[in-house]
Amino acid sequence: MPLLFTIFIAKIILLASRILGRGGGSALPGLVAEKLDPSIGHRLAARIPHGSIIITGTNGKTTTSKMVAKVLGDRGEKLVRNRAGSNLSRGVVSALVEHASFGGRFKENMGLFEVDEAAMPAVCRMLQPRAIVVLNLFRDQLDRYGELDTTARLIGKGIGATNAQLILGADDPLVASLAGYAADPKKVIFFGLDRSPQKPLASDATADSTTCPKCGRALKYSRRFYGHMGHYSCPLGHFDRPQTQVNISGLSLNDESITLNANVDGQKVSGQVGLPGVYNAYNTAATLALSHSLGVDGESALHSLHQIEAAFGRVEKLEVGDKTLYLMLVKNPTGFNQVIQTFLLDKKEQEILLIINDNFADGRDISWLWDVSFEELASRRHALQVAGIRASDMALRLKYAGIPTRHSQTKIPKALKHFIDQLPAGGTGYVIPTYTAMLESRHWLARRYKLKGIWR
Amino acid sequence: MSKPAPKTKSLTILHLYPGELNIYGDRGNILTLVQRLAWRGYGAKVIRSTVGGQVDIGRADLIFGGGGQDRGQVAVGEDLQRHGVDLQRAADDGVPMLTICGTYQLFGSGFTTLEGQTIPGIGIFKAHTMGSTERMIGNVVVDTSFGQLVGFENHSGRTLLEADQQPLGVVKKGFGNDGRSGMEGAVYNSVYGTYLHGPVLPKNPHFADALLLAALRRKYGLTDIEPLDDALEQQAARDASRRPQ
Repeated sequence: MPLLFTIFIAKIILLASRILGRGGGSALPGLVAEKLDPSIGHRLAARIPHGSIIITGTNGKTTTSKMVAKVLGDRGEKLVRNRAGSNLSRGVVSALVEHASFGGRFKENMGLFEVDEAAMPAVCRMLQPRAIVVLNLFRDQLDRYGELDTTARLIGKGIGATNAQLILGADDPLVASLAGYAADPKKVIFFGLDRSPQKPLASDATADSTTCPKCGRALKYSRRFYGHMGHYSCPLGHFDRPQTQVNISGLSLNDESITLNANVDGQKVSGQVGLPGVYNAYNTAATLALSHSLGVDGESALHSLHQIEAAFGRVEKLEVGDKTLYLMLVKNPTGFNQVIQTFLLDKKEQEILLIINDNFADGRDISWLWDVSFEELASRRHALQVAGIRASDMALRLKYAGIPTRHSQTKIPKALKHFIDQLPAGGTGYVIPTYTAMLESRHWLARRYKLKGIWR
Repeated sequence: MSKPAPKTKSLTILHLYPGELNIYGDRGNILTLVQRLAWRGYGAKVIRSTVGGQVDIGRADLIFGGGGQDRGQVAVGEDLQRHGVDLQRAADDGVPMLTICGTYQLFGSGFTTLEGQTIPGIGIFKAHTMGSTERMIGNVVVDTSFGQLVGFENHSGRTLLEADQQPLGVVKKGFGNDGRSGMEGAVYNSVYGTYLHGPVLPKNPHFADALLLAALRRKYGLTDIEPLDDALEQQAARDASRRPQ
C-alpha cells in the first residue's frame, strides 16, 4: 500500500470521528492505518528528524511525559505525542498519522510517546526509539498481564529490539534488572533517590518485587521508601542496586510541590517542582536523566519543571459552585498509598468519596484494595463514602480497616451529587476514583457545573 | 489480692512465606481472620515463615499460605520440603489450613513447568499441577459444602486431582482447578486448597468462620462461635457473583 494513500485514508477517518463525537478518534485511525499497511508506523516514525522517546512503567507515565514535554518544549523542540491513555500500538500510530502532513512529513522534530508495558515489543520495533525510560513496575491490572515478571519480560523484549539509550529506575529491583536487555551496557543511565523525608507506612503491603531475580531469595533493604522502592541487595550477593548517575538528595515535601537537590551526572542542581509527593521526585529524576542524555543542562531542565500542571485526573482541583473538589485517580495499591501519604495522612476529618469500578480499563480484579494501607487512616476520623460498581467491596475493605462507611451508592452521578450536596458551604472534598470511574465523574461534573476544559 | 483476669483465648496464625508469595491481596485473608477473632474478644498472633528461616510448625493453630510469582514459588518449593513432615503431621492432627494458588499447588505432589521441570510439593493433597500456556483469569463462583464461595482466579497451572482426592467444590462460574473438570480446590481433613483469591475470606465469612472454629475447637474444645453481623460481607459477595466472568 503506498504510504501517502494510507495516510490519506487514516486522516479521513480521524476527521470523521472528530466530527461524529468528541473524545473518540484516538485509536481508530491507527487501527485502520495498520490494517492497510502494517509497516505504516515504522515508516512514519523514521521520518521524524530527531527520532523518538518512549516512556513506560506502571505509575507516572503520563506525568513524566508531561514533564519531559515541558523541558523539551522550553528548548524549542516541537513534539509528536500520543494522547494520555492511548498508549497501545494503534494509539501511537494514530498520533503519527495525525501529525504527519498529507505528504508524509512532520513539522515536529521529535517524538515523545507514553507506551503501555504490554505494547512495548510492538511499539519498540515500530519506533526504533533513541531513548527508553522505564519508571517502575508495580502490580496493576494483573489480570491482564498475568505476573510482574511477565510484564518485565515484555519490556525487555522491546528494549532488546532497539539500540536505545536506557533510562532506568535504580530503586526498583525489577526495573534495574532490565539493564540486562540493553544492546550496549554503556547506554544505561540509572536514576534514584538518596533518601526520603517521608516515613514508610507501617503496613505497606505493596512491595511486589522484593526477591532476587537470580535466586528468588528475599532482598535485604538498607533503605526503603515505599513499596519495593529503596536500596537493596541479594543476601547471597547475586544482585544489588546499581550506581545512579542521576540522584535526588535533600528532598522536602508539601501538598503542592517538592523541593529538591539533585546530582545530575556530577552537576549539582536544586529547585522546586510544582507537583507533590515522593513519586513525583522519581518522575523528576527520570526527566532530569532523560534530559541530560539529550544534552539539556540539569539546571535549566529543573527550572522548566518549576511551573508544571498535573496531568489528566492526577490531583486536579475543581471548583463546583462554592465548594472545592480534589480529583485523584488511583489505579493500584502503590498509587493509592501515595495519595494517602501525600494528602490524607496528616489531616483529620476530611470528606472523602472512593469510587471503585472493575471494568476492563480499571483492572477486573479488585483484590488490590486489600493491599492499600487504609488502616493508617483509622484514627484520622475522616468521613468516608463509597461508590461505583464495587462500592460494597470498598465498604467491606474499610470495615476490616476499622473505618465506618457513611454512604454507599453504586451509581456514580447519584453518589457525586450526594457527596457534593452534603459538603458544608465553602467546603472541600476528596474524590478518589479508579480510571473508568474518573471518566464518568469528570463527564458528569463537567455537565452539571459547566466546567470548561475538563473534557478533552 | 485480686484474682488475675481470665486469660483471653488466642490463636497463633502462621503465614507461610509472606515475603515470597505476596501478590494477590492475600493479606486480606489474614486481616479477616484476625479481625473476626478480635470482634469476638479473642486474640491472635501472626507468625511468619521465611525461606531459610526457623519456624515451629507445631506452634500454629491455623496456617495460611498464598500465591506468588513463579520465581518466588521455586524458592518456596525448595524450602517447604524442610517442613513437609511437620505440616503433614499438623494436617493429620486437624490443624486448619488455607492454601491458595501457589501454596495450594505446592501442597500437592508438585508442579511440572512447561519446560518439563518439576518443583516437588509436600503431598498433603493427592493432586499434581501442570504448567500451561493459557492463563485462567476471572471472577469465579464455586458451590461447596460451606455453601457458595465467590472470588477471583488468576493462574496458568492446571491442577489435576487423583480419583480419591476430594475437591473443595464444583465450579458454577469460572475455570477452577484446570478449566475442564469442573472441580475447584481440594480438601484433606481441615486443610483447604483453592485458586480463589480476591481475597477469598472477606466475602466468604462462613468459610473464614469454619477455619476459625476448627482451630478453636482443636485448641479450646469450643463447639460453636458467636455469629457476627455479616450484612456487608453478603452484599459484597452478591455484587461480586453478579459480575461477568
